[in-house]
Amino acid sequence: MIENIFDETTSHSTKRADNARQVAGYNRRDFLKTLGWGGAAVALSGCGNTSIENGKETVVSYVEPTDYQIPSIGVYYNSTCAQCDAGCNIEGRVREGRVLKLEGNPGSSINRGKMCGLGQAGVQAHYNPDRIHEPMLNGQPITWDKALDLIKEKTNGVKGEEIAFLTGGVSGHVKVLLSNYLEALGSKNHYAYEAVSPAVVRAANKKAYGVEMPRLHLDKAKVIVSFGADFLGAWVSPVHFSQQYAQFRKGNRPEGRGVLVQIESKMTLTGANADRWIPIRPGTEGILALGIINVLGTRVPADAAAVAKDYTADRVSKDTGVPAEQITGLAELLEAHSPSLVLVGGAAEGYAHGSQNAAAIALLNQVLGNVGKTVEAPANVQFAQITPTTGNRAALQALNDSMAQDKFKVLFSYGANPVYTAPATLKFQDNLKKVPFKVAFAHYLDETALEADLVLPLDSALEDWGTSIPEYQVEPHLSIQQPLMENLYPGTRGIGDILLSLLKQRRADEYKAYEDFYSYLRGAVVQNKAALGGASADDDTFWNDTLGNALVKLPGTAGSFPVRKSAVGLVLPAPAAVVGAYPLRLIPSVSASMRDGRHANLSWLQESPDPLTTVVWDSWVEIHPKTAAKLGIVEGDIVEVASKNGSVKSQAYLFPGLHPDAISMPLGYGHEAMGRYAKDTGVNVFKILDPVFDKETGELAINETNVRISKIGKRVVIVKEEGPNGGSQLGRKKIAVKVSSDKVDLSKEV
Amino acid sequence: MHRFLRLSILIAGMFIAVGSYAADAVPPITTADDLGPQIEQPIEFPHNRHAGMHNPADDADPSKPATGGMEMNCMYCHTYARRSMVAGIPPLRKCIGCHQNIESVRETPRIKKLFEYWEAKKAVPWKKVHDLPDFVRFNHERHVQRFAFQQGKPVQEACGYCHGDVKTLVVGRRQKPLTMGWCAECHQKDHLVDATSTKTTHGPNDCFTCHK
Repeated sequence: MIENIFDETTSHSTKRADNARQVAGYNRRDFLKTLGWGGAAVALSGCGNTSIENGKETVVSYVEPTDYQIPSIGVYYNSTCAQCDAGCNIEGRVREGRVLKLEGNPGSSINRGKMCGLGQAGVQAHYNPDRIHEPMLNGQPITWDKALDLIKEKTNGVKGEEIAFLTGGVSGHVKVLLSNYLEALGSKNHYAYEAVSPAVVRAANKKAYGVEMPRLHLDKAKVIVSFGADFLGAWVSPVHFSQQYAQFRKGNRPEGRGVLVQIESKMTLTGANADRWIPIRPGTEGILALGIINVLGTRVPADAAAVAKDYTADRVSKDTGVPAEQITGLAELLEAHSPSLVLVGGAAEGYAHGSQNAAAIALLNQVLGNVGKTVEAPANVQFAQITPTTGNRAALQALNDSMAQDKFKVLFSYGANPVYTAPATLKFQDNLKKVPFKVAFAHYLDETALEADLVLPLDSALEDWGTSIPEYQVEPHLSIQQPLMENLYPGTRGIGDILLSLLKQRRADEYKAYEDFYSYLRGAVVQNKAALGGASADDDTFWNDTLGNALVKLPGTAGSFPVRKSAVGLVLPAPAAVVGAYPLRLIPSVSASMRDGRHANLSWLQESPDPLTTVVWDSWVEIHPKTAAKLGIVEGDIVEVASKNGSVKSQAYLFPGLHPDAISMPLGYGHEAMGRYAKDTGVNVFKILDPVFDKETGELAINETNVRISKIGKRVVIVKEEGPNGGSQLGRKKIAVKVSSDKVDLSKEV
Repeated sequence: MHRFLRLSILIAGMFIAVGSYAADAVPPITTADDLGPQIEQPIEFPHNRHAGMHNPADDADPSKPATGGMEMNCMYCHTYARRSMVAGIPPLRKCIGCHQNIESVRETPRIKKLFEYWEAKKAVPWKKVHDLPDFVRFNHERHVQRFAFQQGKPVQEACGYCHGDVKTLVVGRRQKPLTMGWCAECHQKDHLVDATSTKTTHGPNDCFTCHK
């Protein structure tokens, strides 16, 4: 019996277990399978037929409508673009309280109603999903009051010289508040840093012409010879120059259609548009300029001729790799077509002898008699306190050194991302950690904001008030930046408002009249209305007109160049010898949309193809086909680019627009933070740069890095637009054979 | 056991599939009026009270009681229809503008609710009644301008081509199919160019007019 019972129990329990197993098995596989099919059917029926949402979707009306607002009808407001330092004037289309599209402001002397792709993406910077919404202390949310109190507490206990402020280029009333705040703190440590800036050219111009940024007249020149100035892409004020360039190219202007010669080691967008593109050995641009002066011989002033005495066409040809007859040809072209214009841009200045390069090229401009014709002095503007403070790379080096010596207790950072843009050799990140209290004013949690103790979220450029004066503008004016819509997030604040709050902590009496930055701005502009051309208008009318135009002319006097200084003493080093282990020169390229990487989280910019290679959503290594053939590299090979200070891996792209001794990689990719689109897209070239600095200005020489490349044995399909059938976007295979257009048989195509 | 389970789940899945398909399916194209779903709104707005006829519905028989409507022009509240692509929902201030002076109904449930929204400065979350697929652009302004202003049709008639006889409704409900065939049917007809002319023209029949 006992056995029996035992048996029964056993068999019973086995059955139950079997059952359970079966149910379990069913649960796991068949259940999912059937559910999957059912679910797929539901999903299929759910999409496709209709998007009608009646009875489901809510329509939200205004509680109190604004008089001029009609649903679906756009209203346009003028403002100022903050995407790059060109500071174009824009107008934004606002519909139902949302900004939808930006266009150029036709009343602007900078961009005359036009706009570039980078500017268009300003809308995306505003609606970006990775913006910071609230102040954060060590990663935890904190209220604004507490955050500002914390700054007060931290700045109270330290000496003025232990506080530093790192910014990008600043101008306008934010600059005024910033300098006043630093003054109130007793600090003189303002570091204006731009990872990509024409700082060497500024210094060279200052020496040659007496001004940092002379006004250029591309439209009046008969010939333009540009030494690596990508004025159609990313140099100084591209939209402005593009319009001048369009005039320059018109056949029906009195001077006839202009001729553009571009001399550079890596082809830029401007180079691709040139009549003649001349690849030059990296770093020898100044030698070529002196070579041209040498050919001109006795027709130039004696001091210039003396400087260029040794630079015979043959020697220059050997140094630069440019054929001697081309050098003579260039000299003749320039001499025969006056006025001409010689430009010096980023490609020529990024060397240890960048200043000499720029000086030699400026000298060429002078001996050709272009100064006063196509190169003019900018107007002198009043109100020095709001004129731009331009950024450079020497500032970063200075800040870094001071941090390394533990000089700073508090560091503010605004509009710069040095943790991303500093070369690894500077050890900037480690030095930053030595600063006990770091405050970052930021839009995104970028690499620098991540290092900060306190992160204060900023309004987007389309939500904030501000004024700016761009470094390069033809008619001096003050550009007004005004909100195009309400704040998307209640927790963000404008930089002006934050600085004003901080100033009130120190100088409450002085600033108590100003409730916010808006009232400060209005007060400042209206106070000076007589000087700004509104003497007869009443305050409200003048202010409304100013906001309507979003720009106001500044009084100024015509500028003039001081007497030309002698060029005696200008010496250029011989071209650098090729280093055995690192035989190639890395030329980092600055693309029109990526620039220094500050907008890498805008997916429109990631998606818009690079104009020359058409690559999207990744970095690439441009290699000359001859060099690639030597190394056995084909397109799509993943190669390792190694310098003395690090290495990166990216896809090879064979590109004939390069000097064979050079390779090129775009800057701006490879973020470790900042947002979903920027993070891990491509590689960061800033990191592997060698710490070589321009000898005169102390600027980081970004073209001075020697590298070697090697295959790592992997190959990918490059995602790009180029090629038949739209290239291989998304890695798609070609779907149709290419047929010449006159032989298309549509019946077979479909 | 598991066969039964499998089958039942499959059948249930298919039922849901077919059901959801049927629920989302395009309404059949008919020339007859085609009612949309009855939609529950946060406030039961009485269109008949605002736009309905004040006088007896039947002029021939004045003994019938007045319907009590106020014969308001549609465009008094739907003010954007003649100015914009979308008709828009009247802003809350519009309702309050009148109702703050109408003491007689101030304490009725619907008006009380209306004032609750007003005092909280919150928009009434009306549900959509006439929705078109996202790939269709319909322009109210063009139609209102053409029929109500150029042809001089009574406004209620002009709006009524698509919205039906709203003055008889309480809460708005879709009265017409609003499908492409239905739109095209009217676009193919000849309409007078304006009130005084004898010239006629039909509506645009280019795909791009609506699908862009």
